[in-house]
Amino acid sequence: MTAIPLGNHKHLETNMKKPTAFPPIDPARRRWLQAMAAAPLVAGATTPGLAKAAVKTRARIVIAGSGLGGIAVANRLSQLLDGAKITIIDRKEEHNYQPGYTLVATGVWPVDKVRDRNADYQPAGIEWVKDMVASFDAVANTVTTASGQRIEYDFLVVATGVHLDFAQIAGMDVAAIGREGLTSVYPSPEAAQATWAAMQAFTAQGGQAVMTLPATPLKCAGAPLKMSFMLRDRLFRAGTLDASKIRFQSALGNVFGVKVVNDNVLERWQTLGIDVEFSRALKAIDIGARRATFSSPEGETQEMPYDLIHVVPPTRAPDAVKNSELAWKEGPFAAGGWLEVDKSTLQHRRFPNVFGIGDINGTPRGKTAATVKKSAPLVAHNLVEVIAGRQANEAFDGYTSCPLITREGSAMLIEFDYEGRLTPSLPMIEPLQDSFFAWLMKVRMLKPAYMAVLKGRV
Amino acid sequence: MYEIWLTLNIVWEIALGIWPLLLAGAVLWLALLGTAWRQDGQHWRANILPALVIGAAVAVVAALLLPGSIGSTLSDMGYWVDWGMLLALAAAVGGVAVAFAWPLLSWRHGRARA
Repeated sequence: MTAIPLGNHKHLETNMKKPTAFPPIDPARRRWLQAMAAAPLVAGATTPGLAKAAVKTRARIVIAGSGLGGIAVANRLSQLLDGAKITIIDRKEEHNYQPGYTLVATGVWPVDKVRDRNADYQPAGIEWVKDMVASFDAVANTVTTASGQRIEYDFLVVATGVHLDFAQIAGMDVAAIGREGLTSVYPSPEAAQATWAAMQAFTAQGGQAVMTLPATPLKCAGAPLKMSFMLRDRLFRAGTLDASKIRFQSALGNVFGVKVVNDNVLERWQTLGIDVEFSRALKAIDIGARRATFSSPEGETQEMPYDLIHVVPPTRAPDAVKNSELAWKEGPFAAGGWLEVDKSTLQHRRFPNVFGIGDINGTPRGKTAATVKKSAPLVAHNLVEVIAGRQANEAFDGYTSCPLITREGSAMLIEFDYEGRLTPSLPMIEPLQDSFFAWLMKVRMLKPAYMAVLKGRV
Repeated sequence: MYEIWLTLNIVWEIALGIWPLLLAGAVLWLALLGTAWRQDGQHWRANILPALVIGAAVAVVAALLLPGSIGSTLSDMGYWVDWGMLLALAAAVGGVAVAFAWPLLSWRHGRARA
């Protein structure tokens, strides 16, 4: 796919002027777009029998990011709109099933199960700009890529995901994951694979394992817990549990943001012999010496030797969002530079032609694939409503799900909403119950569900 | 409704991943059906019970082996939902066994009588 040449927009048939006030786009063009969108709407249906005529429009829609959220919304918009020009901007050609990283990192899955190609899942007819977004200009309705390309849009979907801020940990080297007991499940499939290799070496002999949790929002907040549970299980199976100690260092006052789950996990860890310390943020690491430095809110530092350490990086929004007008400017999400969206409609609170999907959203909860599963249809529907000149009218409840692995062969199926209420999808599910069914879902059913979401069918 | 649609899509995606196996199985089953179709109806009726017995035996074996096939064990059955899921999966495997055993037994029964 060729990118839009800089400066050559004749084929886009636009007379867009630089906006000076809200609404941001040229009024004449806006009326024209609304007239084209007056055709019958397609409901954001998730069942095939409710298909309606697609909305006719010439709107230019840019989707920044081709992870689960970006591609799922692209596929849905391709079905819901007739004539829209959809552009995806992302340099990544590989598509990674990130929920599978903990399974790779603990030896349950081979690494190839988390690697696919973006090209296989993007809808036909879209334009793919293989570059990274360097900056957003929400006032001018433009996106600038790393190579300097300036791309105009009528509507924007921000789906960039998070930035793993390993730089906050002095001495950390992502390339060293897998060596000297250094592990981290987050960066990549290769890091997950290297983490498993390091875990195997550790469990063969035992020793002291240090598991970390930062104070920032996380994608898959359950992953640090799953890694701790599985490490303990691997030590038990290897027969080196008695020669080992697992110490979980949380930078927060808890280990999980939903209290009932947090309390359940702490109770289990007390039984399993996993020690927990709170208000301990990982600040530095000496990889060769296998020593980690933690700091408390009071500024006290503590050095801790380890034989294996699982590093969970602080996360924030990528610079392109954090440094733009799109980020929260005040409140709890401002420090991370998260996208300022209405938590119900996922529409930007100040730029109504902008929506957010996935981990980039500055919302109380929901940096998981399950959140995208439930919110992608809503974002697509609400965006189509706005294209048609109406208000975003579907509300998201913050659904998040975490199959919390407690040992190989068993997991808890935790589902909750913005308020931290447990919300099991099926009435018979016991969220805090060790369950074969939850394990079966995690290892055999969630990736197929993910693929259906990716293709815009669910 | 959403959960039903989600489940159908999960089954579809799983099937996409193993379509050569499914295709081979379908062809084999149709061949069995085609070969056994010519048999007299009494051979079909006479073999429904043996086919069900085979299906039940396969289901029992499946129930014992399925947990281990995905890294779990029977001791990981935490509550009735787990048992229900395991038995449903085992019953499905048993059902497939019946679908193959019935025409196969009917065909062999007919050949033996001929």
